[in-house]
Amino acid sequence: MRGKRVIVASILVLAAALLASGVIAGQFRSADPEALHEALTSGEVVQVAEIAAADGLARRGVFVQETDIGQLCLWDAASASSLQRGGGCNAIDDPLGGSAVSASLAYDGGPAIETVRDARLIGLADEDVASVTVLMSDGSERVVRLKKAKLSAGDFFAFGYRFKKADLRRGIGPIAVIARGAGGGELARQPTGIG
Amino acid sequence: MKRLGIGFAAVVAALALAGAALAGATTYAGPKAWSAGASAGSSYSSAWKYNYFFKQGSGYDATVTFIDNVTYSWHATVRNTSSTTYTYWFVSNVKRGHCRANSGYFWGSCAVVN
Repeated sequence: MRGKRVIVASILVLAAALLASGVIAGQFRSADPEALHEALTSGEVVQVAEIAAADGLARRGVFVQETDIGQLCLWDAASASSLQRGGGCNAIDDPLGGSAVSASLAYDGGPAIETVRDARLIGLADEDVASVTVLMSDGSERVVRLKKAKLSAGDFFAFGYRFKKADLRRGIGPIAVIARGAGGGELARQPTGIG
Repeated sequence: MKRLGIGFAAVVAALALAGAALAGATTYAGPKAWSAGASAGSSYSSAWKYNYFFKQGSGYDATVTFIDNVTYSWHATVRNTSSTTYTYWFVSNVKRGHCRANSGYFWGSCAVVN
Protein backbone atom coordinates (compact mmCIF):
# COMPACT_ATOMS: atom_id res chain seq x y z
CA MET A 1 0.00 0.00 0.00
CA ARG A 2 2.82 2.36 0.96
CA GLY A 3 4.68 1.48 -2.26
CA LYS A 4 1.59 2.27 -4.31
CA ARG A 5 1.31 5.71 -2.67
CA VAL A 6 4.96 6.42 -3.49
CA ILE A 7 4.40 5.46 -7.14
CA VAL A 8 1.31 7.66 -7.43
CA ALA A 9 3.08 10.56 -5.74
CA SER A 10 6.09 10.13 -8.06
CA ILE A 11 3.83 10.17 -11.12
CA LEU A 12 2.16 13.35 -9.87
CA VAL A 13 5.53 15.04 -9.27
CA LEU A 14 6.74 14.00 -12.73
CA ALA A 15 3.54 15.24 -14.36
CA ALA A 16 3.86 18.57 -12.54
CA ALA A 17 7.50 18.85 -13.61
CA LEU A 18 6.66 18.08 -17.24
CA LEU A 19 3.87 20.63 -17.16
CA ALA A 20 6.17 23.24 -15.63
CA SER A 21 8.94 22.61 -18.17
CA GLY A 22 6.35 22.73 -20.95
CA VAL A 23 5.10 26.08 -19.70
CA ILE A 24 8.65 27.39 -19.47
CA ALA A 25 9.54 26.11 -22.95
CA GLY A 26 6.33 27.59 -24.33
CA GLN A 27 7.11 30.95 -22.82
CA PHE A 28 10.52 31.00 -24.48
CA ARG A 29 9.52 29.52 -27.82
CA SER A 30 9.51 32.93 -29.53
CA ALA A 31 13.30 33.20 -29.72
CA ASP A 32 16.02 30.92 -28.51
CA PRO A 33 18.90 33.09 -27.20
CA GLU A 34 21.60 30.98 -28.80
CA ALA A 35 19.84 30.93 -32.17
CA LEU A 36 19.23 34.66 -31.94
CA HIS A 37 22.87 35.33 -31.07
CA GLU A 38 23.94 33.28 -34.07
CA ALA A 39 21.42 34.97 -36.36
CA LEU A 40 22.69 38.40 -35.35
CA THR A 41 26.13 37.61 -36.74
CA SER A 42 24.80 37.40 -40.30
CA GLY A 43 21.62 39.46 -40.65
CA GLU A 44 21.91 42.65 -42.74
CA VAL A 45 22.03 45.87 -40.71
CA VAL A 46 20.26 48.88 -42.28
CA GLN A 47 20.26 52.46 -41.00
CA VAL A 48 16.79 53.93 -40.57
CA ALA A 49 17.45 57.15 -38.61
CA GLU A 50 20.22 59.23 -37.12
CA ILE A 51 21.18 60.53 -33.71
CA ALA A 52 22.72 63.93 -34.35
CA ALA A 53 26.07 64.94 -32.93
CA ALA A 54 25.72 67.28 -29.95
CA ASP A 55 27.52 68.46 -26.82
CA GLY A 56 30.82 67.19 -28.21
CA LEU A 57 29.44 63.70 -28.75
CA ALA A 58 29.67 62.03 -32.17
CA ARG A 59 26.67 61.25 -34.32
CA ARG A 60 25.28 57.76 -34.15
CA GLY A 61 22.79 55.77 -36.14
CA VAL A 62 19.56 53.88 -35.58
CA PHE A 63 19.78 50.50 -37.30
CA VAL A 64 17.37 47.69 -38.07
CA GLN A 65 18.48 44.09 -38.38
CA GLU A 66 15.98 41.54 -39.65
CA THR A 67 17.12 38.02 -38.90
CA ASP A 68 16.36 34.74 -40.63
CA ILE A 69 14.77 33.39 -37.44
CA GLY A 70 11.93 35.91 -37.54
CA GLN A 71 13.29 38.58 -35.21
CA LEU A 72 13.58 42.29 -35.89
CA CYS A 73 16.25 44.04 -33.84
CA LEU A 74 16.67 47.76 -33.41
CA TRP A 75 20.14 49.06 -32.56
CA ASP A 76 21.75 52.26 -31.35
CA ALA A 77 25.30 52.11 -32.73
CA ALA A 78 28.09 54.22 -34.18
CA SER A 79 27.89 52.39 -37.52
CA ALA A 80 26.20 49.45 -39.20
CA SER A 81 29.27 47.28 -38.67
CA SER A 82 29.79 48.23 -35.03
CA LEU A 83 29.17 45.44 -32.54
CA GLN A 84 29.34 47.97 -29.72
CA ARG A 85 25.60 48.46 -29.76
CA GLY A 86 22.49 48.32 -27.64
CA GLY A 87 18.83 47.76 -28.28
CA GLY A 88 16.32 44.98 -28.48
CA CYS A 89 14.59 42.40 -30.62
CA ASN A 90 10.93 41.60 -31.22
CA ALA A 91 9.10 39.16 -33.44
CA ILE A 92 9.32 40.39 -37.02
CA ASP A 93 5.55 40.18 -37.47
CA ASP A 94 5.04 42.41 -34.42
CA PRO A 95 8.08 44.72 -34.19
CA LEU A 96 6.25 47.21 -31.97
CA GLY A 97 5.15 44.54 -29.52
CA GLY A 98 1.46 45.31 -29.94
CA SER A 99 1.91 49.02 -29.25
CA ALA A 100 1.96 52.12 -31.47
CA VAL A 101 5.53 52.84 -30.43
CA SER A 102 8.52 50.83 -29.25
CA ALA A 103 11.39 52.85 -27.80
CA SER A 104 14.77 51.91 -26.37
CA LEU A 105 16.76 54.11 -24.02
CA ALA A 106 20.55 53.82 -23.89
CA TYR A 107 22.95 55.69 -21.63
CA ASP A 108 26.50 55.68 -20.37
CA GLY A 109 27.22 56.51 -16.76
CA GLY A 110 24.90 56.58 -13.82
CA PRO A 111 22.86 55.22 -12.22
CA ALA A 112 22.58 58.74 -10.75
CA ILE A 113 21.23 60.87 -13.57
CA GLU A 114 23.68 63.72 -12.90
CA THR A 115 26.60 61.37 -13.68
CA VAL A 116 25.22 60.20 -17.03
CA ARG A 117 27.58 61.28 -19.81
CA ASP A 118 25.34 60.49 -22.79
CA ALA A 119 21.72 59.37 -23.05
CA ARG A 120 19.90 58.48 -26.24
CA LEU A 121 16.51 57.24 -27.32
CA ILE A 122 15.78 55.20 -30.43
CA GLY A 123 12.60 53.60 -31.63
CA LEU A 124 10.00 52.66 -34.18
CA ALA A 125 6.45 53.96 -34.39
CA ASP A 126 3.38 52.84 -36.27
CA GLU A 127 2.75 54.67 -39.56
CA ASP A 128 -0.52 56.06 -38.09
CA VAL A 129 1.43 57.94 -35.44
CA ALA A 130 1.59 61.70 -36.06
CA SER A 131 4.07 62.62 -33.34
CA VAL A 132 6.33 61.11 -30.71
CA THR A 133 7.41 63.10 -27.68
CA VAL A 134 9.47 62.35 -24.60
CA LEU A 135 7.94 63.37 -21.29
CA MET A 136 10.69 64.66 -19.02
CA SER A 137 10.81 64.53 -15.24
CA ASP A 138 10.20 68.30 -15.00
CA GLY A 139 6.91 67.93 -16.90
CA SER A 140 8.18 69.31 -20.19
CA GLU A 141 8.11 67.36 -23.45
CA ARG A 142 10.75 66.94 -26.14
CA VAL A 143 9.55 66.41 -29.70
CA VAL A 144 11.27 63.57 -31.52
CA ARG A 145 11.78 63.83 -35.27
CA LEU A 146 10.21 60.95 -37.20
CA LYS A 147 11.67 59.45 -40.35
CA LYS A 148 9.82 57.06 -42.64
CA ALA A 149 11.24 53.55 -42.61
CA LYS A 150 10.19 50.94 -45.16
CA LEU A 151 10.97 47.54 -43.73
CA SER A 152 10.01 44.09 -44.92
CA ALA A 153 7.90 43.97 -41.78
CA GLY A 154 5.92 47.00 -43.04
CA ASP A 155 6.02 50.80 -43.08
CA PHE A 156 7.02 52.55 -39.87
CA PHE A 157 8.53 55.72 -38.55
CA ALA A 158 12.00 55.50 -37.03
CA PHE A 159 13.55 57.97 -34.62
CA GLY A 160 16.71 58.76 -32.76
CA TYR A 161 17.16 61.41 -30.10
CA ARG A 162 20.01 62.54 -27.86
CA PHE A 163 19.20 64.12 -24.49
CA LYS A 164 20.83 67.43 -23.69
CA LYS A 165 23.72 67.28 -21.23
CA ALA A 166 22.34 70.41 -19.55
CA ASP A 167 19.14 68.52 -18.71
CA LEU A 168 21.01 65.52 -17.34
CA ARG A 169 23.29 67.70 -15.20
CA ARG A 170 20.22 69.31 -13.63
CA GLY A 171 18.77 65.89 -12.88
CA ILE A 172 16.11 66.14 -15.61
CA GLY A 173 15.60 62.91 -17.49
CA PRO A 174 13.00 61.04 -19.52
CA ILE A 175 10.10 59.32 -17.79
CA ALA A 176 7.88 58.26 -20.73
CA VAL A 177 7.67 58.12 -24.50
CA ILE A 178 4.28 59.22 -25.87
CA ALA A 179 2.89 58.53 -29.34
CA ARG A 180 -0.02 60.68 -30.53
CA GLY A 181 -2.36 60.49 -33.50
CA ALA A 182 -3.20 63.22 -35.99
CA GLY A 183 -5.90 64.64 -33.71
CA GLY A 184 -3.48 64.86 -30.80
CA GLY A 185 -4.95 61.92 -28.95
CA GLU A 186 -2.57 59.65 -27.13
CA LEU A 187 -2.09 56.31 -28.89
CA ALA A 188 0.54 54.79 -26.63
CA ARG A 189 2.74 55.61 -23.67
CA GLN A 190 5.88 53.67 -22.74
CA PRO A 191 7.45 54.36 -19.35
CA THR A 192 11.22 54.81 -19.33
CA GLY A 193 13.86 56.40 -17.15
CA ILE A 194 17.46 56.54 -16.01
CA GLY A 195 18.68 54.66 -12.97
CA MET B 1 9.40 8.35 1.22
CA LYS B 2 13.14 8.43 0.65
CA ARG B 3 12.64 7.29 -2.96
CA LEU B 4 10.08 10.01 -3.45
CA GLY B 5 12.59 12.57 -2.20
CA ILE B 6 15.28 11.29 -4.56
CA GLY B 7 12.84 11.32 -7.46
CA PHE B 8 11.82 14.89 -6.70
CA ALA B 9 15.47 15.99 -6.45
CA ALA B 10 16.22 14.40 -9.82
CA VAL B 11 13.30 16.23 -11.44
CA VAL B 12 14.43 19.53 -9.94
CA ALA B 13 17.99 18.95 -11.20
CA ALA B 14 16.71 18.10 -14.68
CA LEU B 15 14.66 21.29 -14.76
CA ALA B 16 17.65 23.33 -13.63
CA LEU B 17 19.78 21.84 -16.40
CA ALA B 18 17.02 22.47 -18.92
CA GLY B 19 16.95 26.08 -17.85
CA ALA B 20 20.71 26.42 -18.27
CA ALA B 21 20.68 24.81 -21.71
CA LEU B 22 17.75 27.00 -22.69
CA ALA B 23 19.69 30.18 -22.27
CA GLY B 24 22.77 28.82 -24.08
CA ALA B 25 25.02 31.23 -22.23
CA THR B 26 26.08 32.03 -18.69
CA THR B 27 22.64 32.55 -17.25
CA TYR B 28 22.85 34.45 -13.99
CA ALA B 29 19.17 34.81 -13.23
CA GLY B 30 16.13 32.75 -14.14
CA PRO B 31 14.29 31.52 -16.03
CA LYS B 32 11.85 32.70 -13.38
CA ALA B 33 8.91 34.99 -12.74
CA TRP B 34 10.02 38.60 -12.39
CA SER B 35 8.20 41.28 -10.44
CA ALA B 36 8.70 45.02 -10.86
CA GLY B 37 11.92 46.15 -9.18
CA ALA B 38 13.50 42.70 -9.03
CA SER B 39 17.15 42.67 -10.12
CA ALA B 40 20.12 40.32 -10.39
CA GLY B 41 23.84 40.42 -11.13
CA SER B 42 26.40 38.07 -12.61
CA SER B 43 29.85 37.35 -11.24
CA TYR B 44 32.64 39.82 -12.04
CA SER B 45 34.82 39.04 -15.06
CA SER B 46 36.83 40.85 -17.71
CA ALA B 47 35.51 38.38 -20.27
CA TRP B 48 31.88 39.46 -20.43
CA LYS B 49 31.05 41.24 -23.66
CA TYR B 50 27.31 41.30 -23.82
CA ASN B 51 24.44 41.11 -21.48
CA TYR B 52 20.83 40.38 -22.28
CA PHE B 53 17.43 40.00 -20.69
CA PHE B 54 15.42 37.36 -22.48
CA LYS B 55 11.68 37.71 -21.82
CA GLN B 56 8.62 35.64 -22.58
CA GLY B 57 7.53 38.25 -25.11
CA SER B 58 7.47 41.97 -25.80
CA GLY B 59 5.84 44.60 -23.62
CA TYR B 60 7.82 43.91 -20.45
CA ASP B 61 9.98 46.80 -19.33
CA ALA B 62 13.54 45.79 -18.39
CA THR B 63 17.04 47.22 -18.01
CA VAL B 64 20.42 45.62 -18.70
CA THR B 65 23.79 47.15 -17.89
CA PHE B 66 27.38 46.47 -16.92
CA ILE B 67 28.81 47.57 -13.57
CA ASP B 68 32.57 47.92 -13.19
CA ASN B 69 34.34 46.83 -10.01
CA VAL B 70 36.21 50.10 -9.41
CA THR B 71 33.69 52.95 -9.53
CA TYR B 72 30.57 50.75 -9.66
CA SER B 73 29.27 53.01 -12.41
CA TRP B 74 26.83 51.75 -15.00
CA HIS B 75 28.01 51.28 -18.58
CA ALA B 76 26.21 50.75 -21.89
CA THR B 77 22.85 50.64 -20.15
CA VAL B 78 19.77 49.79 -22.22
CA ARG B 79 16.13 49.93 -21.15
CA ASN B 80 13.22 48.84 -23.32
CA THR B 81 10.15 46.60 -23.62
CA SER B 82 11.45 44.38 -26.42
CA SER B 83 11.23 40.63 -26.02
CA THR B 84 15.03 40.60 -25.79
CA THR B 85 16.89 43.57 -24.32
CA TYR B 86 20.55 43.65 -25.36
CA THR B 87 23.68 45.54 -24.55
CA TYR B 88 27.27 45.08 -25.68
CA TRP B 89 30.33 46.49 -23.96
CA PHE B 90 33.62 45.43 -25.53
CA VAL B 91 36.19 46.55 -23.00
CA SER B 92 38.69 44.59 -20.94
CA ASN B 93 37.57 46.08 -17.60
CA VAL B 94 36.42 43.74 -14.89
CA LYS B 95 32.65 44.07 -14.73
CA ARG B 96 29.46 42.22 -13.98
CA GLY B 97 26.21 42.04 -15.87
CA HIS B 98 23.21 43.47 -14.09
CA CYS B 99 19.56 43.23 -15.07
CA ARG B 100 16.34 44.59 -13.60
CA ALA B 101 12.65 44.17 -14.30
CA ASN B 102 10.86 47.52 -14.34
CA SER B 103 7.46 45.91 -14.72
CA GLY B 104 5.98 42.56 -13.76
CA TYR B 105 5.05 39.82 -13.78
CA PHE B 106 6.75 37.94 -16.58
CA TRP B 107 9.02 34.97 -17.22
CA GLY B 108 12.57 35.77 -18.16
CA SER B 109 16.25 35.12 -17.73
CA CYS B 110 19.39 37.24 -17.77
CA ALA B 111 22.68 36.08 -19.25
CA VAL B 112 26.16 37.32 -20.00
CA VAL B 113 28.30 36.07 -22.86
CA ASN B 114 32.05 36.35 -23.40
